[in-house]
Amino acid sequence: MDIIQLSWFQLSIAFISLLIPAAILGYYKTGLNSKMLIATVRMTLQLIFVGYYLEYLFELDNAWINLTWIMVMVIVADFATIDRSELSRKKELLIPVFAATFLGIVLINFFFLELVIQLPELLEAQYAIPITGMVLGNCLRSNVIGINDFYYSLKENRERFQFFLSCGASRSEALYPFFQTALKKSANPTLASMATIGLVSLPGMMTGQILSGSSPMTAIQYQIMIMLAIFSGTILSVYLAIKLCNRTVFFENDMLDESILKN
Amino acid sequence: MSSIPLLEGKNIHFQYGDEVIFDDFNFRIDKGDRVVLKGDSGSGKTTLFRLVLGFESLQHGDILFKGNSLKDPKTIRELRKNSAWLPQDLNIGTGSVNEVILFPFTFQAHKKSKPHQSKIKSTLLDLGLNPDEILQKSYSDLSTGQRQRVGLAISVMLNQPFILLDEPTSALDRESKSKAADLLLNQDERTVLSTSHDPFWVDRCDTVIDLSKRS
Repeated sequence: MDIIQLSWFQLSIAFISLLIPAAILGYYKTGLNSKMLIATVRMTLQLIFVGYYLEYLFELDNAWINLTWIMVMVIVADFATIDRSELSRKKELLIPVFAATFLGIVLINFFFLELVIQLPELLEAQYAIPITGMVLGNCLRSNVIGINDFYYSLKENRERFQFFLSCGASRSEALYPFFQTALKKSANPTLASMATIGLVSLPGMMTGQILSGSSPMTAIQYQIMIMLAIFSGTILSVYLAIKLCNRTVFFENDMLDESILKN
Repeated sequence: MSSIPLLEGKNIHFQYGDEVIFDDFNFRIDKGDRVVLKGDSGSGKTTLFRLVLGFESLQHGDILFKGNSLKDPKTIRELRKNSAWLPQDLNIGTGSVNEVILFPFTFQAHKKSKPHQSKIKSTLLDLGLNPDEILQKSYSDLSTGQRQRVGLAISVMLNQPFILLDEPTSALDRESKSKAADLLLNQDERTVLSTSHDPFWVDRCDTVIDLSKRS
């Protein structure tokens, strides 16, 4: 079955659907219409840019260029994670979050591309770029939830943490309950979507594959794989990000350097 | 009086911003002392706890634990391994009361002294709590008085040689105060540093440091 090619004119019709949210958000004076406009323009331009870039990337299909692109995605995700977690852009955070995200992506990519899909070339653009993008996007969301919860909860419950230290806990023992809560909160959205996938929603990747002519069975196989990659990747990157940040954001007396927090 | 005090403050200076809390302040606490800090709100009672536990750093002067400076992180950790602190806000855990009580016993320093359920129950009973009613309750649902008793029970069961108690009897009735004092103050080897406005508790301590008169 051939896919129906969308013309730019057809795509522009799709933007008319925005009149509905614009009317609702405008009526209730949410102040979100300008944000919606900016987000829509950004989304469109970014995707057009990526579309052109990916066509070029797929044509070249050079492992080093693909790796460089992955690095760029991780760096953008790094800054976005710090900003959305409401933390300061300090090297004590930027470097560990970058290292954690990159390491998480490398391990997950290696496992799924090399051992599951068994690509002849590990960084083949057609597989490596979209799978990295999906895992990374979810890592970003989970990292934001986990890191924000961890450090802000530590600030709010400073005396609890200090109580544990005063009872002889090592720093990591005293941080254990905060870690536990942050992991739970960051894992929950992915777990919830795994539990309802297929029943409540058809995920974007699977829909895209079906629309572009893959059989539904092939599409679900890839979808199952990508859900596993996302879940493993997100937990690994949250764990690594907090662990690595903790090496740089505490003073010698085990107190958190609260200047890393924006609020 | 032993030659090396358990805790000694030498010419300590500490301020939050422009507000000077301690200026050239000295104190000495020996092993087995039962010290109570007195003073108005803002006189530095809780700050002194925080300095002793290494949560804040001095601007000048020094605090020594068994003769070693708390400027050295190793000394801070050594002190904390020998201490238990009951903070005034009593925000000391989440989950059930049983989980809150047992959590400190998951630390390497206390793994071997994890108490049996019978010990937990008898300690709670001593402090006027009904263990069958309270152990499975959520800690966050407890009243201030109940939280204080649970905190005191943890301090008793940890059995540390140095305990710091911030207003330990503020929410207790007369009978529970008496039991808490018996459990916490009647051990010769234990050093207690406390803050209190409660004459009952102050009378049971042997040394009073009045921070409002220090200048």
